[in-house]
Amino acid sequence: MTRDSHDVIVKTLARLLMPFMVVFALYVVMHGHHSPGGGFQGGVILAAGFVLLVISHGLEQTRKRMSEKVAEIISSIGVLIYGGIGVLCLILGGNYLDYGTLSKLLRVTPAEARSLGILGVEIGVALAVMAVMCTVFFAIFTAGESSQDDRSVK
Amino acid sequence: MEVTLLVEATENAFRILGKAREHAIGVLDTAVQLTAEETRFFEEKRGQLLFTGAQRRKTRFQNFVGTTFILFAFWILLSGKFDAFHLTLGAMCCVLVAYLFHDLLFANVRVGDMRIVVARFIAYIPWLIQQIVLSNFHVAFLVLRRKMPIDPQIIEYKTKLETDISTVALANSITLTPGTITMDIKDGVFYVHALDQKVAEDLNAGEMEDRVAHIFMEADHLYVQDVLDAARIYGSLRV
Amino acid sequence: MTQFFVVLGVGMCVLVLLCLYRATYGPNVLNRAAGLSAIGTKTLIILLLMGVIYDRVDMFIDISMVYALLNFIGTVVLAKYLERTGEA
Repeated sequence: MTRDSHDVIVKTLARLLMPFMVVFALYVVMHGHHSPGGGFQGGVILAAGFVLLVISHGLEQTRKRMSEKVAEIISSIGVLIYGGIGVLCLILGGNYLDYGTLSKLLRVTPAEARSLGILGVEIGVALAVMAVMCTVFFAIFTAGESSQDDRSVK
Repeated sequence: MEVTLLVEATENAFRILGKAREHAIGVLDTAVQLTAEETRFFEEKRGQLLFTGAQRRKTRFQNFVGTTFILFAFWILLSGKFDAFHLTLGAMCCVLVAYLFHDLLFANVRVGDMRIVVARFIAYIPWLIQQIVLSNFHVAFLVLRRKMPIDPQIIEYKTKLETDISTVALANSITLTPGTITMDIKDGVFYVHALDQKVAEDLNAGEMEDRVAHIFMEADHLYVQDVLDAARIYGSLRV
Repeated sequence: MTQFFVVLGVGMCVLVLLCLYRATYGPNVLNRAAGLSAIGTKTLIILLLMGVIYDRVDMFIDISMVYALLNFIGTVVLAKYLERTGEA
């Protein structure tokens, strides 16, 4: 019952839209090799979901789900997945990001190994893009407030 | 002759009224008993559940499962691939998202009512489309005439809806209908921009509001609650 | 049938031009925001029509969904920004 709040429409719609948006972003990431999309686009949609959450529910509610610290950790994890898969291929005797060599590790044919490797790399890219976008948006969103505070102090 | 007839009719009326009163007393007595039993039952149950703290966990689990199934249906609709690999990926994604966002989809919803709400909402959509087409023609005639006889105005519209989801459904229905736009909702008052007098009158007639209230079972709910309240008051008075 | 959809798409493009006029020469910011939002919805329809014309609806539906989502979020963010700066 949020009758007293005056942006009840945006709040309720954001609440209902958010889970579907995240699932859609994950679909864009996972089906990057069948339909348009991929890691970067999926990450941007994920970040847009968090932007919507910040706009509608405020910064405090969003920090419970995704704080600046968590965003930093996730961006590092994303880059680690991307680089890790590349270096793993290097160790297994191929070129950097040469997914075919992963077939020795995963015990599948080289073609399937390429598909799985690309999927892993795209998940890494999506995580990194999402976290960095969130960090940038948080920085912009809080910078206005803090500078206003500075002005009022002066 | 006429006087006797009148007296007879009056006596009849009094007899019928007396019978009706007896009936009403009987009904209210039953209602009092039922209310007392129901209240006792629910309080016992709630006491047990609060004692173990299980109520909250149970709702959370129900929300989690419901969200997972809805999201998985959405995933299948998007993906359209039925091999094991993609279905497993989808299930993993849906469980993850449902774990993270289980409190967003079902806030302030009574679980048992969901099926009726969905069915009534689907039945509401054709009526809404008909309204949209009708007022679309009306607005087109208004705008395409050479004199353009529009009369823009902002009307305040007090609503009887209670929950935020039904308020949002009504606001979006108003916005979807051409000619009217919901600008703001403050304390249960809609501020609606209407293009001319006829559109505003259509809105003030309140048919859309009644239908939305019917979807989310607010009218029924209020009615049942009124009877139960009356029964409680009557019981306390009688005792 | 394809011709019908092409004609529909061209009509939509004309409507987009009208909205673009409002978005460019709008007297104030709110008119521009409304114009941009209307352009977004019309682009959505044009994308779907392109999907039907090129016979790849499954592909264009994904793109149009992303477009609709980002359009919605963009409008909400713009409205919030205008509300905060009080510049209307």
